Amino acid sequence: MTAAPSAHATRPRMGAGPKVAVVYLAIVALAAIFAGVLSPRDPLAINPSNILASPGVRNLLGTDELGRDLLARIIYGARVSLEVAVSAVVLACAIGIPLGIGVAFCGRRVEAFAMRIIDVFVSLPEIFVAIVILAFAGGGLTTLIVTIGLLFFPHFARVAYGMTRSIRAREHVLSAISLGAGTTWIVRKEILPNMVSVIAVQASFTLSFAMLMEAGLSFLGLGVPPPTPSWGQMIGGLKNYIFINAWPVVVPSIVLFATILSVNVLGDWLQDSLNPELQR
Amino acid sequence: MLAYLGHRLVAAALTLTLAFAVVFAAIHLLPGDPVTMLLGEQAGADPEVVQKMRVRLGLDRPLIEQFASSLTGIATGDLGKSLRTGEPVFTDVIVRLPRSLELIAGGLSIAVLLGIPLGIAAAKGRGRFSGTAASVIAIAGFSAPVFVSGVILVIVFSLWLNLLPSSGFVEFADDPLMHLACLVLPATAIGINFMGVVARMTRASLADTMTKEYVRLARAKGLSRQAAVLYHALPNALVPVITIIGIRAGSLLGGTVIVEALFDWPGLSSMLVSAVFARDYPVIQGSLVAIFAVFVLIGLAIDICQGLVDPRTRETAA
Repeated sequence: MTAAPSAHATRPRMGAGPKVAVVYLAIVALAAIFAGVLSPRDPLAINPSNILASPGVRNLLGTDELGRDLLARIIYGARVSLEVAVSAVVLACAIGIPLGIGVAFCGRRVEAFAMRIIDVFVSLPEIFVAIVILAFAGGGLTTLIVTIGLLFFPHFARVAYGMTRSIRAREHVLSAISLGAGTTWIVRKEILPNMVSVIAVQASFTLSFAMLMEAGLSFLGLGVPPPTPSWGQMIGGLKNYIFINAWPVVVPSIVLFATILSVNVLGDWLQDSLNPELQR
Repeated sequence: MLAYLGHRLVAAALTLTLAFAVVFAAIHLLPGDPVTMLLGEQAGADPEVVQKMRVRLGLDRPLIEQFASSLTGIATGDLGKSLRTGEPVFTDVIVRLPRSLELIAGGLSIAVLLGIPLGIAAAKGRGRFSGTAASVIAIAGFSAPVFVSGVILVIVFSLWLNLLPSSGFVEFADDPLMHLACLVLPATAIGINFMGVVARMTRASLADTMTKEYVRLARAKGLSRQAAVLYHALPNALVPVITIIGIRAGSLLGGTVIVEALFDWPGLSSMLVSAVFARDYPVIQGSLVAIFAVFVLIGLAIDICQGLVDPRTRETAA
């Protein structure tokens, strides 16, 4: 053990894993954007004579309990999954980052108080809060985005707060302040640029949490209302027919799993290449 | 220690109150009105019926008064009555709580028993096939949604191998073996995800510890690599892992929502979900309070254990 393997000695290049992940996510994103062109069939067209079919020539990935084409539903489901997750992360950033930076500039009393409240919100189990909100506000794309965004903004506030405090204490920033640099200038020139990499990593992990959350809520029947297809909702519906034919439920399960895995693999890679000094 | 204990208790009570306030706000301030939801479209359209129902349920009182009375109710163990069955919510909570805790305990055991060896393999095998394979299993476990691993487990162990029941619940007193057989798949489904988390933490911590001087000294005095890692690096590497397992154990509770729905496990979370669909808002409120209480109590227990073991945490937290 002469060359002791250090946790941060190996700085990974873009290995095979992240490359595959990028390609896979690109396909999912293209499917989501061009769903109308790519989809072989209408995702809502019911065919009672061909229900719960296994993958085959007629329907490449099989059909669901109403005979709807699974490939078409998975392509349109990609739209829901990405739209909800990406919008929720953008919303969480838009609230969390300014809040975190703002709080860090407010002085000790406000800081201690605001961070305590944020800690409580971070510690609450998100899915339960989401269930209550969706139960009373009703499912749907906008409600989902707002709920998930609100649940995850404290994470960004925490990161932004921590980064702002540490960057502001750096010597060159302190000297800039003593030379008369204003708060806006400091935030724009020093804090935001230095924060980007850490926020990017946080965003990639939050993206996978948001996808999981949307899928889980839709699985329970609280997310996107039918007939709009969503992966989680498809799994929730098809799981009841496992003993008739297990194939249809396996298909969206694998697609969802591969998507979340790819986002996490990319997140790890981002973490290792952007912030090698941080441990995960 | 007493001051520390008091401080943690107050913090826990505050968290619980705040959590309840969020639930209360969601129920009473969000657009969906519990009364119209309960009565349905037709009856809910008649203002007279709605008003009567409001008075009967005590929903006509000012919000702040309702909030205060629910809060005192919770403090005395009164969670109200179900609108569907008329049974006290508290009794149902007491029956279901141990079942959810059982799932969490099962999932946690599986996660720790599989996750720590996996993390060790990943750290020891860095740069080799075994290490890569262990890391891949860890990130795959961590990325698998609970319902995906649950569905796959059912297909493999119930449908193909016909070894375990695909869903359901039997009281331990009625048939202990069957009870355990029903527990295996849902507990594993919850455990797989957390196993990934535990493995990744173990790997990171052990990889870091393996570079420390005392581990190199152990090697220098002639200990094998295996022994140096197992007896010198591992015990120290596991300290932060155990802390983080404790902190995140509460997140297993979130997994029970999906698993209880998938496996028809009659625990606290399925009580909440069925109440949500039945619009039974006292049950929604009561089961959530119980869930948050479990969550806060797990956190409190961990804080206290840490305070007992490591005096430094008492100073920083107080």
